[in-house]
Amino acid sequence: MFEAPLGFFVGFYEVLRSEYALHLCVLLGIYLILAQSFNLVFGVGGLFNLAHVATYAIGAYTTALLSTELNVGVFQCLLASALLSGLLALIIGAISLRLATDYFAIGSLAFSAVVSALLINWRSLTRGVLGIPGIPRPEWGGIDFNGVQNFLYFVIVVTLLCLGAMWILFRSSFARSLKAAAQSDVAAQSLGRDVARLRIWAFFISSAFAGIAGGLFAYYLNYIDPSSFSLTEMVLVLTIVVVGRPGSFWGVAAATLLLVVLLPEGLRFLPLEPSVLGPLRQFLHALLLFIVVYMNRARLFPVERMV
Amino acid sequence: MDILPQLLINALISGSIYAIASAGLSLSYGLQRILNFAQGHFMMVGAYAFYAARILHQGSLPESGVVALLVMLLLGLASLYIFVLPFSSFSPLLPFVTTLALGAMLEASVSMLFGVNVQSISRGLEFESIEFGGVFITPIQIVIIVSALSLLSLLGLLVHCTSFGRRIRALSEHRYAAASLGTSYTGTTIIVFCLGTVLSGYAGILVGLETNIQPTMGASYTIKAFAAMTLGGLGNLWGTVLGSYLLGLIENLSIGLDFGGYSLPAGYKDAFAFVIILGVLLIKPEGLFRRVGRRV
Amino acid sequence: MSIEKEAAAFLEVKHLAFSIRGAPILNGISFAVKAGETVGIIGPNGSGKTTLFNCLSGFNRVPTGVLFFRGEDIGPLGPSQRALKGVGRVFQNPGIFREMTLLENMITALEGRQPLLSTFFPWSSTHAANRTEALRYLGEVGLEGKANQKASSLSGGQMRLLEITRTLAFGADLFLLDEPTAGVSPKMKEEVAHLVQQLRTLGKTVLVIEHDIQFIQRFCDRILVLDVGQVVMDGDPKSVRENPRLQEIYFGGQTGAAGRAN
Repeated sequence: MFEAPLGFFVGFYEVLRSEYALHLCVLLGIYLILAQSFNLVFGVGGLFNLAHVATYAIGAYTTALLSTELNVGVFQCLLASALLSGLLALIIGAISLRLATDYFAIGSLAFSAVVSALLINWRSLTRGVLGIPGIPRPEWGGIDFNGVQNFLYFVIVVTLLCLGAMWILFRSSFARSLKAAAQSDVAAQSLGRDVARLRIWAFFISSAFAGIAGGLFAYYLNYIDPSSFSLTEMVLVLTIVVVGRPGSFWGVAAATLLLVVLLPEGLRFLPLEPSVLGPLRQFLHALLLFIVVYMNRARLFPVERMV
Repeated sequence: MDILPQLLINALISGSIYAIASAGLSLSYGLQRILNFAQGHFMMVGAYAFYAARILHQGSLPESGVVALLVMLLLGLASLYIFVLPFSSFSPLLPFVTTLALGAMLEASVSMLFGVNVQSISRGLEFESIEFGGVFITPIQIVIIVSALSLLSLLGLLVHCTSFGRRIRALSEHRYAAASLGTSYTGTTIIVFCLGTVLSGYAGILVGLETNIQPTMGASYTIKAFAAMTLGGLGNLWGTVLGSYLLGLIENLSIGLDFGGYSLPAGYKDAFAFVIILGVLLIKPEGLFRRVGRRV
Repeated sequence: MSIEKEAAAFLEVKHLAFSIRGAPILNGISFAVKAGETVGIIGPNGSGKTTLFNCLSGFNRVPTGVLFFRGEDIGPLGPSQRALKGVGRVFQNPGIFREMTLLENMITALEGRQPLLSTFFPWSSTHAANRTEALRYLGEVGLEGKANQKASSLSGGQMRLLEITRTLAFGADLFLLDEPTAGVSPKMKEEVAHLVQQLRTLGKTVLVIEHDIQFIQRFCDRILVLDVGQVVMDGDPKSVRENPRLQEIYFGGQTGAAGRAN
């Protein structure tokens, strides 16, 4: 067995010693990357990018296709996922420069729907609603990643690298400039910031990370189809960031744990039909989003005053 | 080219649905810049209320209709008071997020109550299509077109020929001035919003009768309603109506016609709404149809 | 070459014209400012003062006319580029970053002209130096006690002080102050005046839009009077104040936007 003393996730596993707990940790890792990347573009940058999950989807499909059709290795797949998602984000960024915030929300949503439609209908490429099965686990150093445990170690490494990079980003001068631009576009410019360029970078970087998360997702489930990347998923990511406080690294980390692991698992203990659990979780997520938005309504989305 | 008449009829049918569903949305937006993200989900709720009354409880057609109407009214009031009005003095983006949450909650609730599977609500109302002039149309589709024309006419009468309609138009054009003149701004908003809710519920029932219902049917109709509004100019009622029919036209022609031997697979139909929104927002955000004397 | 540059104006505006949707706001403004001068700009509402500033700092693009800053044509440059050249802007609606702390506001300003790599990482020495520097600037205006508070907690006058200090920390050489005492308490007005004096001492060039003539005559070398998008008076404070035409412009008469507004 591959031994590696890695803090939190391994401790968790030691305590519970079940495959299911490992599964939760994998999901947690993936969603941490996805949520923090949205936190960067939306929480720090103030950019209401409802197409974020679309870039996550592109990352997943890129890895899926490259590994199944072309037998590309794991690092190249993840890199390609990051790059393609980032490239897609450049288009979204270009759109954002032309639209005011509320129009951009609609526009990014529409863009996301176009991507969805393409995933469903471009059957020759994506196999449509049938999805892409048989995505092999990564191959590296002769280790068998088919088991949850080893794969978890892989996810932990990738997650820590991504989160580490994002932690630095959140405290960097880049983030300060982004935040400044989010609060006052014109004041940031009068301090020498090229706001357009900053925002394009924000879109690129956040989507690249989302793409990596997508790649991990594809590797983990060994199968992807368009239904995993719907509006519901976007609302979940939005909820996590709003609940965790937009812009707060640790807040969003905690919210990810709450909404992806604790809440759904807590629900399992209720005496309910399995078919009700999914919608109930969706309901509670939305309810939580509403409550947090309501409580913070004076603070969220401050309207920028004109010059 | 001989499928063109059929495509046009289909466009008329789709356009009618979109027009009924988005008319209310357009008025609400004009009044209070309310971007109701759950508009499509309202359609779904209307359809399910009708389903519950008619199929599950064996109600008659009129009874079920009334039940659905009442449910939609309640839904409209609740949505307005909980998800929209508390946020009116803060950022206009907030109702956007809260109605997103509302839509998700509606979808989840309906899934829990009725299950996620597709249901049929047209039991006992299945009729054969009628053919005339090479075009096939079912009775329910005729009802859709006729409903749209009559409802929109009534709406037109309301907005242009009644004092209430004058109030709507005045408040939409001079939001701040009119409110300070003491006209009951909230009252008007409530009535208009609930009207829109009831209309979209009705549209949902029509869709359900024409095809079937499913808790997830709401989301794409929300986007279609937004597409129609964007095409016609946000807040411009008749622009939105025209936009709805134009949307129906674009959707159906795009998949039906041959472009030099290549035609788009039917699945892309929905994508067109989205591409349109993007295109219009980027090129002409004020919409294609100039506001007839309207200012946002 | 340096002699020529010194003789040339620090800021030169020639025939600046700007319209919004066909309505002319600026109708051919021309004036020049020497390095180190403090120029007051007054005029009734609607005379185009803020629009002038927007044209100078680059937020109104492609106006007709010529804009030379330190001998360089800044017309084709955008706001951020002009800022990097030394054009500083302080907004009428305070342009401070409300959700950031005072310290963060100042650090953001200091980083504006520093190379990205030196400030990027939170552990960089430049960043540490910036923190110290930021506190020093805050201390100069008596705000160091609130360094870790959100900027939104400040009073109107304190916000102005912060914004002016921030622009100073950024390294601007031309200060465009848009009504720095609007809505500010009398005590804070003194603080603002003191700060503007400091800018003068540091050799900065300042343009101030103000309504309070008494206030600005204390430290302005010159006063420009704007009316209907044109410069109608340009002289030292005393002669401008005593000019009867000033009364007409502000309080009605044949000419003047104020007069025509009725």
